[in-house]
Amino acid sequence: MSDNPVYEGGCLCGTIRYRIAGPIAWAAHCHCAMCRRASGAVALTWATVPATRFAITQGEPATYRSSENAERRFCPACGSQLTFWSNAHPNEMDVSLGTLDHPEDHRADRHTWAKSRLSWLRLDDHLVAYAESTPADKRPAIGGGDDA
Amino acid sequence: MSEFLGGCLCGGIRYRLGAKSSHAAHCHCSQCRRASGAAFLTWVAFPAVSFAFIQGAPRIYRATDKAERSFCPDCGTPLTFRHVDSAHQVDVTAGSLDNAQDVQPVHHIWDSAKLGWLNMGDGLPRYPGERDGSEDMP
Repeated sequence: MSDNPVYEGGCLCGTIRYRIAGPIAWAAHCHCAMCRRASGAVALTWATVPATRFAITQGEPATYRSSENAERRFCPACGSQLTFWSNAHPNEMDVSLGTLDHPEDHRADRHTWAKSRLSWLRLDDHLVAYAESTPADKRPAIGGGDDA
Repeated sequence: MSEFLGGCLCGGIRYRLGAKSSHAAHCHCSQCRRASGAAFLTWVAFPAVSFAFIQGAPRIYRATDKAERSFCPDCGTPLTFRHVDSAHQVDVTAGSLDNAQDVQPVHHIWDSAKLGWLNMGDGLPRYPGERDGSEDMP
C-alpha cells in the first residue's frame, strides 16, 4: 500500500462525494446511542483520518449539531451519514465506513462506547472494546496533515 | 412488547408501531451500507397498516423504481424502507427504535455482499440475497 493512498466515497444518491488523501488512522464500531439513532444501524463504524486530509469534492452536505461540541454531516437528498467531527479532537475527522467506495478494504480495529452496546449484538467480539471513546493514549497522533 | 415507538436523532420525526414485529434482519447490501454509513443495517419488519408517523414529515429517497427510503431532513436518520412488491410491510431501522435492545434479529440477508472482514458470530441463517431467494436488488 502506498504511503499516501487516496480513498473516495459518497452518499447513496451520489450527490455528495468526498476524498481522503492519506491513510486511515483507525476504524471503530461505535455503539453510542447517538450513533445508533443517526444511522438507524445497531452500531456505526467510523474511519478516523486527519481532518486536513478530508475534503468534500462534490455537493454540499447538511450539518446537524448533535451536541454543543459535535457536528454530524449527512446528505440532504438521501440521508446518508457522512462525517462526525468534535472540537474535543479537532484534528480528527470521522468518516462513516459504509460510505467509502471500498469499505471491504478497511477493517474495524476497535469498539467504542461499548458500555452502550446492545447486549444481543455479536459483532467482531475479538476486538478491543473501550467503555467510552478511544482513550488518549490509544489515539495514534493525528497532526495537521503536513507530516507526509 | 405490543407497541414500538421510535424516531430520529434530532427528535423532529417520531413514529409508532401498533403491531408486533414479524422479524428483524441484518442487511449487508451495498445500498443499506451507503444509506446508513454503517457496515450493515438492521431492519425490523412490521405490518404497514400498523405504522404511522406521529410527528414531523420525513423526506423520501427512491433508490430504485421499486423501493423508497425515508429519512429525517434535519438530521438524516434513515427511518423506513418500503418496497412496491411487499406493500403490506414496512421495514424500520432498528437503531431508530426507542428500545433497540428488544429487537431480536433472526437472519442475515444479502450475505453475498457482506464485508469480508466483518465477523458476526451469532449463528443466524445467512441468505445470499433476499430471504425468499431473490437476488434482484430491490
